Amino acid sequence: MENDILLHAEKIDKRFGPTHAVDHVSLDFKRGEIHALIGENGSGKSTFTNMLTGILPIGEGTFTLDGEEVAPKNQVDANHHGIAIVVQEMGTLSGLSVAENLFLGDEDQFMSKGIKNTAAMNKKAQELLDSYGLDHIKATSSIDNYDFEDRKLVEIVKSTWFDPKILVVDETTTALSQSGREQLFKCMMHVRELGHCVIFISHDLEEVLTMSDTISILRDGQFIKTVIKDDVTQDDLKTLMVGREMSDHYYRTDYGESLASDVAVSVKDVSVPDELEDISFDLHRGEILGIGGLSECGMHEVGKAIFGASYNRTGSVTLADGTEVNDINTAINSSIAYASKDRDNESLLINDTIQDNITLPSMRDMGHVLSDKKLKSFATEYANLMSTKMVGVSQFVSALSGGNKQKVVLARWLGKQSDILVLDSPTRGIDIKVKADIYDLLDKMRKEGKAILVISEEIMELIGMCDRIYVMKDGKINGELDRSPELTEQDVIAKMV
Amino acid sequence: MTTNDSQTLDPKTPVPAAPEADEGKQKLSERFNIRAIMPVLGFVVILGFFAIATGGSILTPKNLTLMLSGSYVLMIASVGVFMIMTMGCLDFSQGSMLGVTCIVVCTLSKYNVVLAIVGGIVAGGCIGAINAYFHVRRQIPSFIVTMCMMFLLRGVCAYLTTDAPAAAASYMTDFNQLPFMLGCVVVVLLIVFFLYRFTALGSNLKAIGAGEKAARFAGVNVNRTKVLVYVAAGCITGFAAFLSAIRNGSVTSTAGNMLETQILIALVLGGMPISGGAKARFSNVVMGVLSYEVLQKGLVMMGFTTEIQQLIMGVVFLIVVALFSDRDSIAVIK
Repeated sequence: MENDILLHAEKIDKRFGPTHAVDHVSLDFKRGEIHALIGENGSGKSTFTNMLTGILPIGEGTFTLDGEEVAPKNQVDANHHGIAIVVQEMGTLSGLSVAENLFLGDEDQFMSKGIKNTAAMNKKAQELLDSYGLDHIKATSSIDNYDFEDRKLVEIVKSTWFDPKILVVDETTTALSQSGREQLFKCMMHVRELGHCVIFISHDLEEVLTMSDTISILRDGQFIKTVIKDDVTQDDLKTLMVGREMSDHYYRTDYGESLASDVAVSVKDVSVPDELEDISFDLHRGEILGIGGLSECGMHEVGKAIFGASYNRTGSVTLADGTEVNDINTAINSSIAYASKDRDNESLLINDTIQDNITLPSMRDMGHVLSDKKLKSFATEYANLMSTKMVGVSQFVSALSGGNKQKVVLARWLGKQSDILVLDSPTRGIDIKVKADIYDLLDKMRKEGKAILVISEEIMELIGMCDRIYVMKDGKINGELDRSPELTEQDVIAKMV
Repeated sequence: MTTNDSQTLDPKTPVPAAPEADEGKQKLSERFNIRAIMPVLGFVVILGFFAIATGGSILTPKNLTLMLSGSYVLMIASVGVFMIMTMGCLDFSQGSMLGVTCIVVCTLSKYNVVLAIVGGIVAGGCIGAINAYFHVRRQIPSFIVTMCMMFLLRGVCAYLTTDAPAAAASYMTDFNQLPFMLGCVVVVLLIVFFLYRFTALGSNLKAIGAGEKAARFAGVNVNRTKVLVYVAAGCITGFAAFLSAIRNGSVTSTAGNMLETQILIALVLGGMPISGGAKARFSNVVMGVLSYEVLQKGLVMMGFTTEIQQLIMGVVFLIVVALFSDRDSIAVIK
């Protein structure tokens, strides 16, 4: 049945310098299906869909949509072809109103004789928002008045209101809370019912299995297999993605005595205006302490507050030796490490080499005169310790995949011999293989007596890895849960909302 | 030929990956090497062009010496701006700063030569500190701060030289000998090269240029480094003013005019990325200033008038920037 096929990709190929990101991938997408695209980081999922949606130019090969070849020049052009995408990162422009964001690049429909009819645009925008049940968002107000989640929802409206034939959802769910996800899934089902196709990229295999009809697996830029949802289990998918059997353990498996010993960091009455209110807790050596909650509950600010990076902080962060941490340099000198949720802007120098990124905080310990050779061997040692996939340490970080970027961040702090690790969303957007590596590392460091604070939006990760979990809500700690095999997702969610 | 090379060599933007970038490791290292030798190649091309255009007369020892002696001030002043630009900042106040510090040097030279040198350096450092104060503490973009400073100092310079040019003590011109002058330049270059290459300073500067926020989160003391570099650049220009006073013997209101632009053109000719960051190399300074000097002297020798020279310089600058600028990160100039 030729007619079933809505979109056909023929030998799509893309290289970034030495990296063969997508290797002659041919795929069919049918009408009325949600087609998941899964694979580890760097397997080429995003590159593939970015070419389809005009974000990247097509290297080689063709996309045929409804019998017509398409090669979008940019996202707006793709929209005109009926192809839309909800991207992984923030896709709205601050400083513009909600309506302006909704019709960005597509204002022509409101133009008459060269003059834009703003009132008509606002009216249509509000109608659209209302029809999606988002009447709490006002079309005329600035996008900056809304939080990450609402902006993401605006983006979803932006890419679905014109009933695209192909909707790409690229790793969007990790940024959304439960209600936001449901909203997104509703939109996806709607597209499917119209007889169109959703290309769904996600690392959450459970979600993939619930939502999609067909699943295609990519590995190292190559197409591996397309399977029907009902024929496979999560483990099958994992095996296909990694290319070998995954070992059983993924999270920690011990439930005995906690190894926690003396207090490493004592957080007392910490407040940040509009973010945190009177947060107090102790982080011990030898424990993994988790902080969870909805994405806007203030938990990400806790990490910054401990690292001395938040403005207007009151209250105190005190170390075992009595040192008060009020700025980043004191934090680093006192052996505190911090990995930000905003990896590309706060954790890493994207347009710099792996070597510089790893050695930067450690240089002060290497004496005054530094040779390139010394720095290089240092960077190589720790990058290899984290088994970072790279051409060499002189490679730029911007060319690495999300998981490898995070490995560089961790290599930096391993090199600095940090004893207190504050990790915000350590596995955000990272595939299962690197995830397992990171979990192993955390467990190892816990046994070495390091103090680890994991801030995460992934509830299973908190339950699986942490000795204790603080659940936050509206800038306050709303409950404490201890490690136990009986602890369920529901217990945590109950404290979150 | 510059055009052709630049296309294959531009490794900055990851997006337009050329299909011929096939051979992985081998090719990658090749690309980096090309980038490293590019400024040298540019210099050779410019020199070769003028050697032919002037019938070889640009290569006579006399003209070579002339070119070298003309580059002292530019070379030294460029070193400071190089550090500033590595951080992704700019400094337009260098020219008028040179004028003012030159007046200080000339005035103090009537008492003592050591006092003159120290005075120039301190005066430059103070001006740099003012730039840094407004940029770092008041959070004003550096190019606006230094642009204002340029006008301000140009005014000061004109005011102080209204009645007569400030003349240096007569013994000053005795220093104008090749070994001494060249020695001063080499010492400054070596000191900054050492600091840039073999201490944490260089990495910190590049880190700030590559991403200020991430640099802060990696423990770079961004504000302190910025203040340090602006003051250092001021001091270096103050020292350049000493050499300038030796060469000219006096200061008029136009002293150091357009120096800031010359520095910018020279650095860009030398392969310096406009927005700073990890790709800034110290060799950019040396090769850039030499290329600039040859280009300028060559145009003079070919008999172009000052107006036409400026026009050609402007065109060259535009072409080089258009070919080499890193459009991904151009928005981060501070």
